[in-house]
Amino acid sequence: MSRSDGGRLSTAVRRVLAPFVDRTVAERVLISVAAILLSVVVGFAIILVSGRVAECATAAWTMPVTGIGFCYDPIEVYVVLFNGALGYPLAVGDPGLVNPEWTPFNLSMGLTLSETTLLIFTGLSVAVAFRAGLFNIGTQGQLVVGGLATALTVLAAAPLLPAGPIAGVILIVAGTLAGAVGGGLWGALPGALKAYAGANVVITTIMLNFVAANVAYVLVLEVFRAEGSSVVATEYVPDHAQFVPWLFPGSSDFALLALAVGIGFILAFYYVVEHTAFGYDLRTGGVQAAAAEYAGVNAKATTVRAMTLSGAIGGVGGAVWVLMSEGRWVDSVPGLGFDGITVSILAGNSPLGVLPAAFLFGLLKGGALEIGFRTSVPTELVGVLRGLIILFVAMPEFFRMAGRYAGLGSRGPGGGNPTASGGSEGADGDGTDTAGTTTRGGESDA
Amino acid sequence: MRNPLADVPIPVLDDLIESDHLRSIVVGTVGTLGLLAVLGSSFPDSVAGDIAGIVFSTSTAASTARLAAPIVLAGLGGIFAEKSGVINIGLEGLLIISAFVSVYVASVVGIGNAILGVPAIWVGFLAGIVASTALAGVFGVVCIEFKADQIIAGLAVWLIALGLAPFMSTVFYGGVNTPNLGARVGWRYFAVMVVVATIVSWWALNRTAFGKHLRAAGENPRALDTVGVSVSRVRHTGVLLSGVLSGVGGSALALSIGQFVGSGETMVQGKGFIAIVAYLFGNYNPVGTLGAGILFAGLDATQIRLQQLGYAVPDTLVQTIPYVVVILVLALVGRTRLPAAAGDHYETEE
Repeated sequence: MSRSDGGRLSTAVRRVLAPFVDRTVAERVLISVAAILLSVVVGFAIILVSGRVAECATAAWTMPVTGIGFCYDPIEVYVVLFNGALGYPLAVGDPGLVNPEWTPFNLSMGLTLSETTLLIFTGLSVAVAFRAGLFNIGTQGQLVVGGLATALTVLAAAPLLPAGPIAGVILIVAGTLAGAVGGGLWGALPGALKAYAGANVVITTIMLNFVAANVAYVLVLEVFRAEGSSVVATEYVPDHAQFVPWLFPGSSDFALLALAVGIGFILAFYYVVEHTAFGYDLRTGGVQAAAAEYAGVNAKATTVRAMTLSGAIGGVGGAVWVLMSEGRWVDSVPGLGFDGITVSILAGNSPLGVLPAAFLFGLLKGGALEIGFRTSVPTELVGVLRGLIILFVAMPEFFRMAGRYAGLGSRGPGGGNPTASGGSEGADGDGTDTAGTTTRGGESDA
Repeated sequence: MRNPLADVPIPVLDDLIESDHLRSIVVGTVGTLGLLAVLGSSFPDSVAGDIAGIVFSTSTAASTARLAAPIVLAGLGGIFAEKSGVINIGLEGLLIISAFVSVYVASVVGIGNAILGVPAIWVGFLAGIVASTALAGVFGVVCIEFKADQIIAGLAVWLIALGLAPFMSTVFYGGVNTPNLGARVGWRYFAVMVVVATIVSWWALNRTAFGKHLRAAGENPRALDTVGVSVSRVRHTGVLLSGVLSGVGGSALALSIGQFVGSGETMVQGKGFIAIVAYLFGNYNPVGTLGAGILFAGLDATQIRLQQLGYAVPDTLVQTIPYVVVILVLALVGRTRLPAAAGDHYETEE
């Protein structure tokens, strides 16, 4: 963005455009995409190697030129993974590229979007804490506690109201609020321990995950267990208190309304983090705690608030899991909170980035089911891909080195070291928007 | 706040343990066990008698040793990595990968066969160590050469192992659990390894030049660089050592049963995270880590035996105790202090 361009644009427009034209953001997006591609390539190699050692009657794929046979077809795996997660919009092998019978409202798409919706909440929860410089590994525990609070609240309140759409709205709102309160309190705990006792958040949140899982399990097992249930679970909440799977098949456990709420959360928290006084406290506390304190930010209170907020979002994720996916609290809680960490990391801890990152991991989840149905490749492959993506996202320096090696030069996204590019960015820009400059510094630090 | 337990003199251990909260833990544990022994022998038919019978029985000792080995060994490894300035949160992943590879290689060689005179199960044991060390080496390169965020890269190591071990198990055996080898390694071997590893680690950290370099790399890398020792080489060594020790722990875990279980969080079940807790609890002291590991494993082993005797203890609540204890210790008794430069990258100045 040249100086004359910046002068003509009004501040409001510039603020909206800044995240999209800012080079550090562009670089981050590029690194995320490169990490995904690289993990696909490494995954390709893993499929080939394991296809060589596995035993099968006929080779699924023969390598061109060499004629070596492999039990797994890596191209088919990826086609099934990404095409299948969307319900096969592309007609592979048939004449014509597009499958004429495909509609967006199919079962696979519903499963993918259901996972996406849940990951939006957990990813956002981790991202908000991350921006405050706090590594909240405890979203899983906050989701477990929030989900249990939701289920118990709705089960307790349901008999008081006559069944119907109005009661449903009241129950869903009350249940979601209960989830937010439960998760928020569970998140406030490590926040307070950090602020007032100096206890490491990474350690306390890992511990609190185990505590939450165990205590919730015992509570449901001993007190709230549904009669005659073979698993440790509460009663089902009434149908009218669950999200309605509008347009999508009911078995997909997906409700568009929940996705809309999730996207609303993303926009709201983007605004809160980037454009409010509280968001400013949050970010400066994350970048330079001592400087923030000097500037009048109450660092301790901000730490507790950030963790409470993060926990509350995780708790809402638990509420959506109960009211949309399961219809009850059941002991086998999926690792959505841990996946939220990977979503947030891939998103570069930006609330806006959570949406595409959550969709990608939703795709992997939906695609894993299809791989299980259609190929002989173990579905655990998707777990390996997830780990590889995170590993590669964690090493931006590798891509910068590769960029330099490939001769992209210093102007390209692969050039220069992060601090130098961050500094020159500040000098190139107008230098008036101090909050924006802080953000950029913070992002390159994180 | 002065902890009264910290003032009790411990003649033999005084040189080994400087930290107050560690002393109070040692005194508290010994005191509790002593009280239990007295109560148990005075009232043999009561609950105390039963608990004492369990705590001081050989089978509980065996299962404690079996459960403690991966925790203590990975914890010792974590000390080496973190003291050198690299926080290795991926210990869990190292345990998983070594547990699987040890069983896999032992089954490929075939129980009853031997390579160069080494029986198959011990070949598997060594292979587990090699696998864990290789993964730790990758982690080290990513963190030190490519300046990755250590926490994120550590999580990635865990996630990769969590996916890869059940994946390979399905490829080779058609299921996430491997078949049982039909052979196992007795717990006494691992108990000896744990004790030897603890003593050697303490000696290496506190009495050798390497230990000094390791601590300097974590506390003040510039000073180390100034005297001409390569910071990255010391850090690589620290990370590789965490791989070796975790590999011993993971192989021990799997080979003490003779099987790899890959469902859910795999058979490792968070022991790598408990290991982090154990060395923080022991304030980076190998002896303290050993004590914490035995304490956590002992609680678990006692709880399993109590269940078998028919006491309706909610086992999940007993399993929660170590986690709650850690939170309380972090908050109240002693704050563990990370090495000053842990988590930071270091650029050599030319």
